[in-house]
Formats: sequence, C-alpha cells, structure tokens
Amino acid sequence: MQCAEALRVQAYFDGEVDAVSALEVERHAEHCAECRSLLEHLADTRLRLRRDLEFPSAPSALRTSIGRLLDEETGQVAPGVAAPGVAAPAVAAPAVAAPSVAARARRRPRWRLRPLWLAGLGGVGAVFAAALALLIAAPWATNAVLDELVSAHVRSLMPDHLTDVVSTDRHTVKPWFAGHVDVSPVVADFADQGYRLLGGRADYFEHQRVAAVVYQHGAHFINVFAWAAAGRPLPQYTTRSGYHIACWRLGNLQYCAVSDTGWDELQGLTRLLRAAGSADTPQ
Amino acid sequence: MLPHLDAAYRFARWLCRPPSDADDIVQEAFLRAFRAFEGLRGGDVKAWLLTIVRNCHASALEQQRRRATVPLPDDYEAEGSPSPESVSAADEERRALRRLVAALPEEHREVLVLREMEDMSYREIASVTQVPIGTVMSRLARARAALRGNWLKDAAGEPSAVR
Ligand SMILES: [Zn+2]
Repeated sequence: MQCAEALRVQAYFDGEVDAVSALEVERHAEHCAECRSLLEHLADTRLRLRRDLEFPSAPSALRTSIGRLLDEETGQVAPGVAAPGVAAPAVAAPAVAAPSVAARARRRPRWRLRPLWLAGLGGVGAVFAAALALLIAAPWATNAVLDELVSAHVRSLMPDHLTDVVSTDRHTVKPWFAGHVDVSPVVADFADQGYRLLGGRADYFEHQRVAAVVYQHGAHFINVFAWAAAGRPLPQYTTRSGYHIACWRLGNLQYCAVSDTGWDELQGLTRLLRAAGSADTPQ
Repeated sequence: MLPHLDAAYRFARWLCRPPSDADDIVQEAFLRAFRAFEGLRGGDVKAWLLTIVRNCHASALEQQRRRATVPLPDDYEAEGSPSPESVSAADEERRALRRLVAALPEEHREVLVLREMEDMSYREIASVTQVPIGTVMSRLARARAALRGNWLKDAAGEPSAVR
C-alpha cells in the first residue's frame, strides 16, 4: 500500500512545504524506502517531461490573427473590411464547431458581430498591455496581496532565500534597507521575548520593492513585510493556505507578518513591533 | 505584445483534441480576456488567462458533445506524424511520451501540464482548474503514477496505439 506521507513527499518535491515540513519529509524518507523511490520517480518523470516534450511558442499567424481580432474589437478596423487573409464572417457560424480543418482555420468568432463597445480606444496591443500593466499598478486587491505575501513567505523558506543581510543587530539591518528598498521599516531584536532577529531581505512583488525583516521564534520563521501603504487596508488578522497573517499600518507603512506559528506567537511579535514603531516613528 | 500567449497556446495544445483546435480556443480566450479584463482585480494574470483558455475549451467540448462529433481519444493521432522510415529511436520515444500524456484523463492531464510544463504552484493550478488545493495534489499524484505506469508498460512492449 502507499505510504501515508506520499502526498507530503510530493509537495516537498514540488517546493510547496515550509522549512520545518521539509526537514520532516527528509527525515521520513531516510527511513521509508517507498518514499525514497517516490522521490526518484518524481524527479525522473519531471526530467523526461521537461527534456522530451516540445514547448512550442504560439505560431506567428495566430499572434497576428489575435491582434487583428482585438483591433476589430477596439474599432481599429471597420467591421465590413476584413483584414487580408481573413475570410468574411459567416453569420451563422457557431463560436465553436467542428467543421472542416480549412473552415476552422478561417472561422471567425460570432461576437465579432457584436457592437464595437470598445470603439475609440488605441491600438490593441497597446491597449491590452496597458490594461494589464494598469491592473498591476492599481490598488492591490486584498486577496492578491495576501496570496503574494504567503508565496513570498514560502519562497523565503527555500534554501538560501531567507535573508539577504544576516545580522541580529538592528543597527546593521536597518541601514541595509536604506540602500535596497524604498522604505525604512521598524527593525528590532526581541530575543529576550523569544523573537530572534535573523536579518533582512529585499522582496519584489507586484512591481514594488518590499522590505522583509525575518524573525525566528522556536522552530518557526516569521517574515514581517513592509511597504509604502496604498489602496484599501488589509484585514487585521487572516489565514491563507495554513499561514497566519497579521496586518497593521504605522505611519505611512503597511506591515504584514506571515508565519506558520500559532496566533498567540504571531500576535506577540506584532504587539512588540507596534510598540517599538510607535516609539520611534514620528506621527 | 500579447502577454502569456505562448503559455495559453501550449496549455490549449494539451487540452484540445486534436491539438490543432488550440488556435481557435486561444483566439477565443484572448477575446474573452480582452472583454473581461476590467473585471480582473490584480492577482495572477497568467493563471487568469489559462482559466479562460480552459473555460473556452470546456464550452467547445460541450458544443461538440451536443453535435456528437467528439472524436474518441483512441481515434486521436498526433498530426504531422512523420513516415516510419524517418523516425529515429529518440524521436519515437518523444512521440510515445507525448502520446502517453495526451492519453491521460483530462483532469489529470491538465494538472500535470500546469505543474511540469508551466511550472505553476499548487495554488495557481487550483485557481485555473477551479478545485481545492487538496484535489490538485491528489490528481497530480494520480497523473504522475499513471504516466509512469503506462510508460513502464510501453517500454515492456505491451500493445500500444503507436504505429
Ligand atoms: Zn513513506
């Protein structure tokens, strides 16, 4: 029968577990022949798939024809004037059917005939690209930010990713941030209270440089992210994918602490940080 | 500049039977995406686009089913198969692997492709396939086990559809 740890071993292989869990999986595999061979099979399968299968790019004809269709959507091309090489629309053509190959290749989607609701906008490549850029720059959607925080936390637990500057001295860590991120977060060592300062890291997500201060509490790591506050406030306490997240604002900075510690432990650190921040942040 | 077009195209190639239908699916997906992007609030654009590709494929399949013209997987033969004389052993192995992946049930194939070929996280795969992360994990495990089992059988010379 399959070992009960098989799914966790797979998650370990896929880089989806935190440092603590990874250690447990490694220890388990030392004693479980089945999971050792599972790890070998997973690696072998990945190697063959990535080495032997094609990774085709979209054909340039497809790229061009999508560009044309989107241009029509934005009113760049008059509806009656079919672009060269594109058959006139068959009015009754269903959006997706299975006619002859030639007909499929030439078929136009039916909503090409819809009113050109986007008339008047600029060239489509530009519009689409700008729209995507815009939504990236727009005030962060709460859920997306939280997801980003969790992935940044998980990423930091990969080997050698935790800290860019290693120091338990806040007088080393804080100036380091000045040269690497756009914000100057609260940095303090709370070793006496059980939260040891490990160092700092510059993270980058959603087109913004973010400071991460790393603490260790027992066997757990806590990332405290800080960036220039903008957009909607984040929920004060929330849990995503099994990680607890505590968020607060202080001065013009948004702080978020992420960890797999218990709530009490995480709140212990956030209380200390808020107190330290209020003491040395001019309001 | 069409962001993530290559990823959308690759994903559609793995979803569609025959893979040549991918062009239509991707075209439709980009139009839907273009019309819907105002509804997108941050988050992962690639996962969002691939979700639309998947939805387009699902509705195409539904239409085909209604017309009862959906080809059975066994009828599917990868297009552009070269003549047997020009095929090297390595080529043959690559084709066999591609066929084995294509033969996986769709719900297994899609998670495998998103994980191994697009290098997406469980969370991203869950959002594209619209199932919980636990389901992604178990489907991925089954897909990998089935793929491995099938190629061991294949290597042992058991009957195969490849001519
Ligand atoms: Zn085991």
